[in-house]
Amino acid sequence: MKRGVLLFAHNSPKYNYYKMAEATAKRINHFLDLPVTIITDTDSIPENTTYTFDNVIKVVPDKNNRRDWGVWINKGRYQAFEFSPYEETILLDTDYLVNSNKLNTLFKLDTDFCCHAKTSFFMHPDAAQEVLSVYSFETLWATVVKFQKTKRAQQIFECLKMVQNNFDHYANIHGFIAGTFRNDYALTLALRIVNGHTSTPVDFIPWNLMHAGKDVRIFSNNKNEYNTEYTILFDNWQKGKIRKDYIQIRDMDFHVMNKDNFLELIE
Amino acid sequence: MDTVTLLSEAKARFNHNSAKVYLKEKYESKLIVAEQEGLWKADHSTLNFLYNAHHVQEEVVLMDTFNNPVKVNALELYKKLMQVYNDVMKEWHDEWQELKGKR
Repeated sequence: MKRGVLLFAHNSPKYNYYKMAEATAKRINHFLDLPVTIITDTDSIPENTTYTFDNVIKVVPDKNNRRDWGVWINKGRYQAFEFSPYEETILLDTDYLVNSNKLNTLFKLDTDFCCHAKTSFFMHPDAAQEVLSVYSFETLWATVVKFQKTKRAQQIFECLKMVQNNFDHYANIHGFIAGTFRNDYALTLALRIVNGHTSTPVDFIPWNLMHAGKDVRIFSNNKNEYNTEYTILFDNWQKGKIRKDYIQIRDMDFHVMNKDNFLELIE
Repeated sequence: MDTVTLLSEAKARFNHNSAKVYLKEKYESKLIVAEQEGLWKADHSTLNFLYNAHHVQEEVVLMDTFNNPVKVNALELYKKLMQVYNDVMKEWHDEWQELKGKR
């Protein structure tokens, strides 16, 4: 069965997502031995690049989304099903730092669609799970999604499109702020709808998604291109004073929420 | 600046609780095994059950981590999970030995 990884990368005025995608793709090739297809737009592709993706699929980006730092082009993720050239696909965020072959385990799971339902944060052992709102569900995560080309997976992505197109409506029902479209929220709702408004554990990746939050700073322990050892520094506020805490990690995949920090790591 | 200098200048202290959580997240995920058409965690209760069951009968039905009943060869699954358990726990122990002395 043909397997591969799919990345979406549309540059924003602030961040070069294509550059992030190239670095992530190299690590995917190295650690997972999988080909990588990128879905991007003409403006994001640099003139001079040495990395060759398995496929480059150009789309017209929907720029109608904003975050605190500016335009955030994250809509259109539902196109993954249509554009993936693989029978089994891992759909990955570009700021996911692959440091092991762990993701290959996803192909052994007996399901045609799965994503993370639980998360854990470095330096925050007791962090609560995120919810859509206090009246709604725990958030599922679109950071890592594995799917096959089945009818059910197609329905999930079609439903993702429907939720994206009616995001204000679902925000109203579930009591969250619709100002910024989030794929995590849309996926949470789409998967439940397709599963008959139930939660199905078989669709959840059986380990936690590791986040490096915006309040930590990560440093590579060496300059190797495929470095897997990092130091994580954290300002721990206690009784009005800052104590610098750190841990050291290795050979573990994680999602970097601080894009500036991610760019530092791939330099 | 290398990380040793960075930590020294920042007077940073190693956070043992956070390190334990990191190790737990990393190694517990490695205890999960897809085998004999089910998904299993090589934990104490599963290993104990399989060890005892294989003395009584060759095949048993066991609930996997997704709560699906799966008919398995008890001895074969026990051997596989025990091997995974030993390999992962050794790695976990070794990395913890490296980290626990840090200040």
